[in-house]
Amino acid sequence: MIKIDDFSFVYPGSGKPALEHISLQAEKGELILIRGASGSGKSTLLYCINGLVPHIFNGNYSGRIQVNGFSPSDISIRELSKTVGTVFQNADSQIFMMRVEDDVAFGCENLLMPREEIIRRRDGSMKEMGLWEMRTKETYKLSGGQKQRLAISSIYAMGPEIFLFDEPTTDLDQDGRKDFFGILTQLKRGGKLVILAEHQYEEYMPLVDRVITLHEGRLVSPERAPEYPPGFLQGYGKENEVVISCKSVDVAYEKGETALKNINLEIRKGEVVALSGRNGSGKTTLLKSLAGILRPDAGVVTIFDMANPSLEMISGRVGFLFQNPDEQLFAGCVEEEIAFGPKHLGKRVDVERYLHLSGLSNERGRHPQTLSRGQRQLLAVTSVLAMEPDILLLDEPTTGLDDVHWMHLFSLLSQYSMEGKTVVYATHNRKAAGTASRVVHLDDGRIISDEIYQ
Amino acid sequence: MMEGSFPMRFINRDTIFHRLDPRTKIAMSLMCACLIVVLRMPEGLLGLFSLLLVTFTVVRPPFSYVRTLVSLMAIAVIFTVISQGFFYYFEPKTPILTFIPENSGWIGKLTGGLAIYREGLIYGAIQSLRLCCAMVLSMIIVITTYPSDLILGLERIGVPAKIGFVVTVSIRFLPALIDEARRILVAQKLRGLNVKGVRGGFVALRYLLPPLIIDSLRQARRIALAASVRAYTGERTHIRTLEFSRIDWIAAGLSTGVMVFLIFFYGGL
Repeated sequence: MIKIDDFSFVYPGSGKPALEHISLQAEKGELILIRGASGSGKSTLLYCINGLVPHIFNGNYSGRIQVNGFSPSDISIRELSKTVGTVFQNADSQIFMMRVEDDVAFGCENLLMPREEIIRRRDGSMKEMGLWEMRTKETYKLSGGQKQRLAISSIYAMGPEIFLFDEPTTDLDQDGRKDFFGILTQLKRGGKLVILAEHQYEEYMPLVDRVITLHEGRLVSPERAPEYPPGFLQGYGKENEVVISCKSVDVAYEKGETALKNINLEIRKGEVVALSGRNGSGKTTLLKSLAGILRPDAGVVTIFDMANPSLEMISGRVGFLFQNPDEQLFAGCVEEEIAFGPKHLGKRVDVERYLHLSGLSNERGRHPQTLSRGQRQLLAVTSVLAMEPDILLLDEPTTGLDDVHWMHLFSLLSQYSMEGKTVVYATHNRKAAGTASRVVHLDDGRIISDEIYQ
Repeated sequence: MMEGSFPMRFINRDTIFHRLDPRTKIAMSLMCACLIVVLRMPEGLLGLFSLLLVTFTVVRPPFSYVRTLVSLMAIAVIFTVISQGFFYYFEPKTPILTFIPENSGWIGKLTGGLAIYREGLIYGAIQSLRLCCAMVLSMIIVITTYPSDLILGLERIGVPAKIGFVVTVSIRFLPALIDEARRILVAQKLRGLNVKGVRGGFVALRYLLPPLIIDSLRQARRIALAASVRAYTGERTHIRTLEFSRIDWIAAGLSTGVMVFLIFFYGGL
């Protein structure tokens, strides 16, 4: 169905080819996994199959691609979308309509199908993808996993034979990933060709027929990704004083956030704690309460001997990192970004040291928003570290990181905790949680287990 | 308590207004807009405003919407009345409270005097009444019309489909944008930025806009790619259909009647 022959591609304005001499063949019913670091060309390869290259991204290319007998450059993206369906990482930006059933119909409407045909396909797709029960639900009320399911269902309704997935489960928790496993099985059984580009693919391996590894735009033979032993981040906190404590803390439920019920927790200086749990288990809510961003409705959160302090009272002593680094980069260049926090707190800072820690010494003059996703994440972490807070709280710090940046992030955290500082992070990722020295597991707004390693 | 979302979206209810064809609602809004501009006498505007308020209660908005509406209207009224009171331009004007008399030496000459004028206050009140009418009207439309229906209605009366799509997508992503702005503001505070007072507000804005705009552009690009692979070109068929029923004719007739009546008696033409 797909035949790629010695294909190379260079983005306009870039000196380096994004893809070099790629040859590949794929047939119906296959499931192919593409691995590779960020920037290795995984997405570009998918764009070449679905026609975004060269219709949207036009650069220089050589070699041949054939999809179902056609060259993507010869037919329109719309024509191609009847054969090739694409699902991206961010489910939210793939939903256009306010109601589930309308969104599933969106693609078919664009293909100018007659009304009866659209309704038939829409309903069929929703039934197969398990969305029938929530067909009239408003899309913004769906969970992350349901949104991704909706995005897939909308593509499915258009009836393509080839499914391309560009990091589809990065934002999903364990349940969402299990869900996705089910969908992959279904697509495979239906004889579809599936190409999956993913960082974390271990659990999908039973379904995978072939693995392709990309490195700087070339196909390379696979090698093993680094593994971390549990408790990689050493906690030196067992005898230290308590820096944060929660006593019978309740936080009420409001839009999109999970309630916390009767949380009791003590975190000591120097500990590295992972708050783990599904999406919607309350881990982010708890993390925000520990930072003073949310005030409890009942009970007391004590941070450095202050009961339920306001943000201003602890600003500078508690560092907090939101999930999306882009919402936390304000300055005009990398150097300024690192100096931003200390400057506004009236603290001195050794910018060189933090530049070095972030690995961005050579990018010091660049605008933060022009860095790669992984670099932006590291810069956001370093900029918070530069304020030298005693406690560092991070929400889903590993989202979208490849192995190299992942490793870098944890070595930063490890170094920081060895200075006797406290680290707490919320994560839905099992591997990320396993790296901490203590794992607090939440479900439905309650702590259900609290394990200390060693 | 936790931060809530911006209360400005469609509410799925079954009221007369929900059942109207979007085209009827568009026509009624246009008539309303005409009246807002044309009516000169305060009695007429007051009449229009009370009609709109009655309609607003008919669609049974939740309390949070009422709260938002009231605070928006309060801001509009206070701002307009005060600014018009001070800076009313037309003659004659009667000062009711003088801060700097016109004949008080060089400062009076320089400023032309500073006073609150009675006519200005009245003029401001009328202007703010117009603003309030527009606010109630838009909230009624947002609450009662499912966005896709509104877009379809616009398309049917000749608005280009691409503009309709842009509007739908904006409505769909606006709440997410507001949530993002909120998170950025918290992130600023956590990085030690003093955002208190007017000056702090400006500083916060300066550091809010770049990440917000850049992230919106990124999001826009993601949306554009997702729309492309979903075969979007601007040309499409619609699964939803619109039907003009009897209540539409009645509603359209009634509003035309009201419009003619108001213009005839209070138009000041």
